[in-house]
Amino acid sequence: MFDKLVNPKSVAVVGASENPMKIGYAIMKNLVEGKYDGEIYPVNKSATSILNIRSYSSLKDIGKTVDLCVIAVPASLSLDVVKEAVQCKIPFIVLIPGGFSETGKEGKQLEETISLIIKNSGTRLIGPNTVGVYFPHANLNTALTPPDRVCFPKSGSISFISQSGALGLLTMDSISELGIGISAFINLGNRIDVDEIELMKYFKSDQKTGSIAIYLESVHNGKEFYETLKDVNRVKPIVVIKSGRTTSSAKAASLHTGALGTDDRIFQGMLRQAGVARAYNEVELIDYARVLSYSPLPSGKNVAIVTTAGGVGVITADYVSAAEHGIGMNIAPLSPETKNAIKGSIISFGSAENPVDLTADGSIEAYDSVLSALQEDENVNIIIAYALPQTPKMNMGIVDVISKYCHAKKPVIVGVIGSKLGTELIREFERRQIPAYPSIERVVNSVRALYDYSMFRNGE
Amino acid sequence: MNSAREFIDEIKTKGKSEFSIKTALKNMGILVPRSFIINDISEKLDISYPVVLKVSDESILHKSDVGGVKTGIGTFEELKNQLSKMKTLFPNSQFLVEEMVEEGIEIIVGLSRDNVFGLSIMLGMGGTMTEIYHDVTFRLIPVNRIDCNHMIDEVSIGRFTGNGFRGHRIDREALINFIMKISSIGEVGGEFIDQLDLNPIKIADSKIYVLDAKIIGKL
Repeated sequence: MFDKLVNPKSVAVVGASENPMKIGYAIMKNLVEGKYDGEIYPVNKSATSILNIRSYSSLKDIGKTVDLCVIAVPASLSLDVVKEAVQCKIPFIVLIPGGFSETGKEGKQLEETISLIIKNSGTRLIGPNTVGVYFPHANLNTALTPPDRVCFPKSGSISFISQSGALGLLTMDSISELGIGISAFINLGNRIDVDEIELMKYFKSDQKTGSIAIYLESVHNGKEFYETLKDVNRVKPIVVIKSGRTTSSAKAASLHTGALGTDDRIFQGMLRQAGVARAYNEVELIDYARVLSYSPLPSGKNVAIVTTAGGVGVITADYVSAAEHGIGMNIAPLSPETKNAIKGSIISFGSAENPVDLTADGSIEAYDSVLSALQEDENVNIIIAYALPQTPKMNMGIVDVISKYCHAKKPVIVGVIGSKLGTELIREFERRQIPAYPSIERVVNSVRALYDYSMFRNGE
Repeated sequence: MNSAREFIDEIKTKGKSEFSIKTALKNMGILVPRSFIINDISEKLDISYPVVLKVSDESILHKSDVGGVKTGIGTFEELKNQLSKMKTLFPNSQFLVEEMVEEGIEIIVGLSRDNVFGLSIMLGMGGTMTEIYHDVTFRLIPVNRIDCNHMIDEVSIGRFTGNGFRGHRIDREALINFIMKISSIGEVGGEFIDQLDLNPIKIADSKIYVLDAKIIGKL
């Protein structure tokens, strides 16, 4: 359905430019510096080459098959380009410019005219008013932001659909720091043709997609949206941010996208019915998408905690068991066999109760024995393992130890606190698709998201 | 026992008055207090006191705001007295005399329409506190038993299930069956109903009484 969008063999950029102040420059830069290895066809009426690539005066002038056409000319000029792209039977258009329904009556009219041209043609359109699309596995980046401003994530397993462009770009920039990867980014913009419903259906059977993260300000086809969420979520877990929760913020969302809103309590109930995790901000969005993509599902709500810092263990136990400022799950009661096994491998003043505290003496070998015992204990459904850099016996080897157990039968969610070695640890966990988070609260909230999803999958 | 389809048909033929909605609910196997429609009282009614007297008129949606509800009427004499007072307020209306249901927790169940998602069902604690504590939850129509369980646990109603709370108990299965019935009304009547308010409902163990009912829509 979207194969030629996600994996195009050739891309035309209409409005390509060598002027660094123009969007058509940034898009060309991102394509070239992103090492896109398909054909690039810059289209510019007055140039013969752009960034040393032969340029064409029009789409028709290219005379070869084009899979994806990125339009980076102003809204007023875009209508003719869309018509030409349809005539050239180009399967996908990314219509970058703003200046459509979000600006008023005239823009809305232009948008409706373009909708009519696209409708019943063989061409599909993303946008308008979009920052573009990014598919890292294909090295395809049509974003309008210059690469010296923001980072783009490496290839991963989260497919990210965003109604807002800037929020999408900034979120991708933020997660890049920890080496978090994505499988796709699509900014829907004004969403006159391709929408989140179709994309979810596509990602449902996309091999690269492990989970789907969606940012929305409005929904335009409620029933179908709900049915699709519920259906796709059974196969590929979905996380949704829906902004405009209050009357006053809904007004802001409506100004931004021109759509009318639903009582947030109904939206909340709908997500619960569909078993979909709700995130309230961009950090939670990617946190939950990672745990849902990387982890096996727990078979219950009993959590075991392993730490080398007593305080971290106790705060985590608070968060796990408390209903307020917490997730209302259980601290697993460890079996006598587990406790004995743990006692034999940790220092005498450590704790063989849950939370298991290896103390500052904790070595990587001891950690290994503890995790092994917890994996065997039937009272334990989920393990929170802290990889903390403050003690002398701890080093990057902890990543190997924890990874041994991460893709086993029980989920292991990792907490890392700190920056120097800490960031390095998270990047290394991420490289192995192990969910690791830089704060206690983010660890436990991700545990809850995973547990809730397991309940949905079990029909509870 | 009537189906949801028959409920809709019954409202269509008999109107949207409180009495006709309640009769239609009763025919679906839902409990409503024993009641009579009266214009005047000549002889003693076969009813247990205390009773409530209400104006019964489709055009009056907020009866208590306009003095159209009198609760706690203890004797036949008092009822006659209250009826004549109410008749001066509403000379062209009929009246409903209804046995009072005093036992139980007050809850609300309703259907309402959203422009994007269509009909949804609402469950909440009753009384004025509901709005203050946001003690309500919604789901899209239709719901299944899992949805009902989640809904019950998302509001304080869940605390009254199981062994109950301070002497009050709600039977979870009975409430689930009730919610499913109302959901089925929304499912078959989706194109006709814009809003259905069952408020208040009194629930004690497995006895669920609908005390007031309103419906808005193209019926």
